[in-house]
Amino acid sequence: MRADVVVVGAGPAGLASATRLAEAGRQVLLLARGNGFTHWGAGSVDVLGRVGGEPVERPLEAIDRLPEGHPYHLVGQAAVRDGLDWFSGFTAAAGLTHTGDPERNRSQVTAFGTLRPTCLLPEPAAGELRGRVAVVNFAGFRDFSPALCAQRLRRAGIDAVPASAPMPAWDHDRYFTGVELARAIDDAGFRRRLAPGLARAVAGAEVAVVPAVLGLNRGHEPWADLQSLVGTPLVEAATAPPSIPGLRLFAAYRARLEALGVRWQFGFPAVGVERDGDRVTAVRSEGASRVLATHCQELVLATGGVAGNGIDANRDGTLTEQVAGLPVEGFDDRLGFMGDQFLGDHPLAAAGVRVDAELRPVDAAGEPLLANVRCVGGLLAGHDPTTEGSREGVALATAARVAAVLAATPAR
Amino acid sequence: MTPPLETDVVVVGGGVTGVAVLRDLALRGVHAILVERFDLGTGTSGRWHGLLHSGARYAVRDQESARECIEENTTLRRIAPHTIEDIGGLFVLLPGDDEAYAGQFVEGCQASGIPTEELSPAAAHRREPLLAPEVKLAFAVPDGGIDSWSLLRSMAADAEARGCQVLVRHPIVGVERSGDRINAVRVHDAVAGEDRTIGCQWVVNAAGAWAGEVGRLAGVPITMIAGKGVMVVMASRYVHGVVNACRKPADGDIIVPQHEVAILGTTSEQVPSPDDISVPPADVDRMIDMCAQMVPSIASGRVLRAFAGSRPLYKPEAPAGGDGQAGGDTREVSRTFTVLDHASRDGLDNMFSIVGGKLTTCRQMAQAVVDRLAERMGVTEPCRTATEVLPGADHGHHRLAEPLARVERDQAYGELICECELVTRGQVRQAVADGLTELEDLRRKLRLGYGPCQAAFCAWRAAGMLAEGSWEPHDGPAGRESAPRRPEGAGAPPDPVAGLERFLEERWRGQRSTIWGDQGRQALLNHAIYRGIFDLRGDGVPDEAAAALDQPPRTEPGAGDPTQRVGEELAGDSEGRTSSRAKGR
Repeated sequence: MRADVVVVGAGPAGLASATRLAEAGRQVLLLARGNGFTHWGAGSVDVLGRVGGEPVERPLEAIDRLPEGHPYHLVGQAAVRDGLDWFSGFTAAAGLTHTGDPERNRSQVTAFGTLRPTCLLPEPAAGELRGRVAVVNFAGFRDFSPALCAQRLRRAGIDAVPASAPMPAWDHDRYFTGVELARAIDDAGFRRRLAPGLARAVAGAEVAVVPAVLGLNRGHEPWADLQSLVGTPLVEAATAPPSIPGLRLFAAYRARLEALGVRWQFGFPAVGVERDGDRVTAVRSEGASRVLATHCQELVLATGGVAGNGIDANRDGTLTEQVAGLPVEGFDDRLGFMGDQFLGDHPLAAAGVRVDAELRPVDAAGEPLLANVRCVGGLLAGHDPTTEGSREGVALATAARVAAVLAATPAR
Repeated sequence: MTPPLETDVVVVGGGVTGVAVLRDLALRGVHAILVERFDLGTGTSGRWHGLLHSGARYAVRDQESARECIEENTTLRRIAPHTIEDIGGLFVLLPGDDEAYAGQFVEGCQASGIPTEELSPAAAHRREPLLAPEVKLAFAVPDGGIDSWSLLRSMAADAEARGCQVLVRHPIVGVERSGDRINAVRVHDAVAGEDRTIGCQWVVNAAGAWAGEVGRLAGVPITMIAGKGVMVVMASRYVHGVVNACRKPADGDIIVPQHEVAILGTTSEQVPSPDDISVPPADVDRMIDMCAQMVPSIASGRVLRAFAGSRPLYKPEAPAGGDGQAGGDTREVSRTFTVLDHASRDGLDNMFSIVGGKLTTCRQMAQAVVDRLAERMGVTEPCRTATEVLPGADHGHHRLAEPLARVERDQAYGELICECELVTRGQVRQAVADGLTELEDLRRKLRLGYGPCQAAFCAWRAAGMLAEGSWEPHDGPAGRESAPRRPEGAGAPPDPVAGLERFLEERWRGQRSTIWGDQGRQALLNHAIYRGIFDLRGDGVPDEAAAALDQPPRTEPGAGDPTQRVGEELAGDSEGRTSSRAKGR
C-alpha cells in the first residue's frame, strides 16, 4: 500500500486534518481504529471554556493566560481563527450551520440543566432560553430526564418545567436508542405524527429544551421542520454519548472525504512505523489476519491522548505512545495519573507528545525527532481538553497548522 | 425529639452477625431493635470477597473454624440457596508449592468433615481451562459464592416480618447505665438529625470489627484486632468456581468469581483502626501477580477497582486496652468466634458481645449468643434458624445467567438502566418507591454501577429517575411528567445532582489505585461525560440530610442527668451518609 499522506485517527483532529489536506490537493489515506470524540463530545465547538477553573468570556484573548507549552501557543491565534473559519464554512456547506463568535463564548444547555461554556454551536443547540422553558423528553427515551434538567435550570433562575411528549406508533415502541429516534425523525411523515404531541407538551412555553435527537442524516433540516410544525423554538441539550450532533458532523466529514477521493480504512489500528533515519517510511496497521505496511511521504498522528487511545498508561506510571513510540513524559507512579476527586482535574488528561511549531515531535532538548511526522489534537502535550474545554478548538487549530505546514512541503 | 422506643433487646451492628442475631431473636418470639450506623452491610459484610467457605482454607491450621465452616456451608445452602452461587472450589498445587502441605491438607479436610476430590491436571483444566498449564494437582471442595447483601436483605426482611425493627443510619452514641445494668441505648437518627433513646432489657454487641468501640461506650474493655484485607476486582470472571492456592494461607491466594466479576484476595495486615480501608497500589500489584500464577491471563486483564475490608478478629489473651502490634500478619489469629457474657466478665449484667468469626458462620454465631441470652432471659423457645428457610429461597441457587434470562423473557432490553449489571427501569422505579433516595443504596440493592463502565451511563440515568421521584409539581404545560408528590413534612427534596456527585466520588475512591491501561481510558471517558458534557464540577448543593450527617451533633452529658452516661461518639466516615430509608420504620 502506498499513500502521499497517511492520517491516523478519525476524531475531530484527524477528520479536519484529512479533509484540509485533501482540499489542498494531497493524496490522503485515513487510517483509524474506530470512532473518536465526535461521538463522545457535547456536539459543540469548545475553544477555551475555562482557565484555572473559571469560565472564560473571550476565548481568543484568554489564550494568553494559558501555561507555556500549550498547543495554542505553538500554533498561534491566527491558526485558531483559521481553524474556526474553515470549520464554519465546511459545516455551512454541509447543511450543519454553526453559529457563534470566536471572540465571545456562549453557554450550551446540557441534559443536566447546567450551562456549559462553549464557542460555536450547531443551530439546533443555539436557541436562547428565555421566559418559560419547557424541558421535554420523548416518552420512553431513557437517556434524558426533564425533571433533572429542569431542577438545575431553576437553580440558575430559569423558569423551567419538565414535560413529556407522547411517541406516535412506530417500530421501536419497546426498545429505542437516541440514534434510532434520530433516524426516525429524519422522516418527514414521522415528524408530522410526532409534532402534535410535542406541541401539546410545550404549550404555554416560549422555548423547549429537548434531547439532541432531532435527525441523524439530513443535517439540520429535520430540526428546522419540526420546530416550524410545533411553532415553538426547539433547543437541543448536550446529551450523553453517542453524540447525535457529533454523528451528523462525522457523516458530513465522511461525505466530504469521499467526494475528495480520500481512502478510508476503519477498524485498522496503527501499531508501528518503519523508519529510515529521521523519516518514517511506512505505517504498520493491524488487519484481520496480518500486519499491513502502508508507505507514505508524510504521517499525521491524530490518535488522541490517553482517552483517545493514542497513549497507553502503564501500571508503573510510565506512558507509551502507541504508533511511533514517541517520548511521553510519565509519572513517578500511577497514583500520579489522577486527582483525588473524580470531578476534579486529572494530570493524565494533559499527558501527550511535545512538538515544535511545525508540530513535529521533539526530544527533551526540543529538537525534532522525526522530520515527516506531525502530531495534532488530543495527542499533544500541555492541554487538558475536558477541563479546559478546548478539544475541538485545539483539533481545528492544529489541523489548520498541519495544512499550512504541508502546503509548504508539496507531494513528491 | 422523636418519642423514645422500647424493646427487649437492642442489637448493635447491621452486618451479617447483627442481622442474624435479630432474626434468631425474632424466631424465638423476642422483640428486638437493630441499630446500624450506616446502611446494612457497609462494614466488613460488604467489603469481602464473597466466599462461602467450605472450611478447607482452615483445614490445616484451625480445624475448629474448618468444622464450623462446613456445617454452616451446608446449613446456608438449605436456608438461603438464593444468595448462593453453587460453583464449587479448587485448591491447586503449583510447581514450587510444598507437596507435604497437600498431604496435610487432605488429612485436615478429612478430620474436619470436608469432602475433597483429587483431580489430575487434565481434569482440573477441563474444569477450569484458564488455570496455569503447570498446575500439578488439584482438590475439589464444596466452596461457593455468596452474596452478602442478598443474605442481609433476606434475614432482615424475615426478622421485620416477625415484628422486629431495623434502624439504619442510627449510630449508637451512648448507653444509659444505672449501676450494673444498661437501661437504654442512645442513637443518633442521622436522617432526622436528632438523638433517640431506646429503652431495653438487654444489649447484644454485634458490631464486628467495631465491637471494641461499642464496648467502650458501655464501659467494658474488648480488644479487637483490625485485620485489613485488600481485594482486587477484575472485569470478568476468569474461572467457573473458586480457585485457591494449596499452600499455607498467604497474600493473593484466592480467586472468587462473583456475579460477572472476579475478586482476587487478599492481604492480611494488622492496622490500628477498622476504619483504615486504604488500598496501597503495591498491594494491588501483589494480588494480581500472585493470582496470575494460578490464572495467567489475570496478569494482562482489566482491573475494575480495589477495596479493603477489616476482619473482626478477637484475641482473648490480649491485655485490656492493649492494641497488639500494628503491621503484623493477622493470619495466626483464629477465625473462630467467641461469646462474651459481660456479667461474669465485667460485672455488666445485661450485655453480651459476639466477636470474631466470619460471614459463613454468622448464623451459628447468632445462635451461640442468643442461646446464652435466652437462657438468662428465661426464654425457652429453641433456635430455629438452621431449619426455617429464608424468604426468597424458593427458586434454588442463584445462577449467573438469571438476570439476562429475565431480561430476555421480558424483552426488557430498552428498559435497561445499567447495561453492565442488567438493572431495569422497573427495578429502579420499585427501589425509589420503596424510599431509597441515594444512588449508593441503589448500588447495594441492585448492583447498579458495579460493572466495567463503572457508572458511566447508569448513574445519571438513575439520578434522573430519582429526580422524577422528587419533582414538585408546578403549573406548567400539559403533558407534564407525572411525579409522585412527596409526603407531607418530608422536607426539601434531595438534590439528585448532589447525590450523583457523592456517588461518583465514592466510586472513585475504589478506583484510584487501579487506574492504568483500559481503566485509564475508561476513567478519562467518564470524566469527559460527567465533567465535559454535563459540566458537573462537584459543587452540587448538598441536601439537608447530607448536611446534617456531615456534622453529627456531639452528644454532651446533660447536667443533673440522673443516669450515668458512658462513652463517646463513634467516629464516622464518608460511607453511605444519607438516606431517608430509616424514616417510617
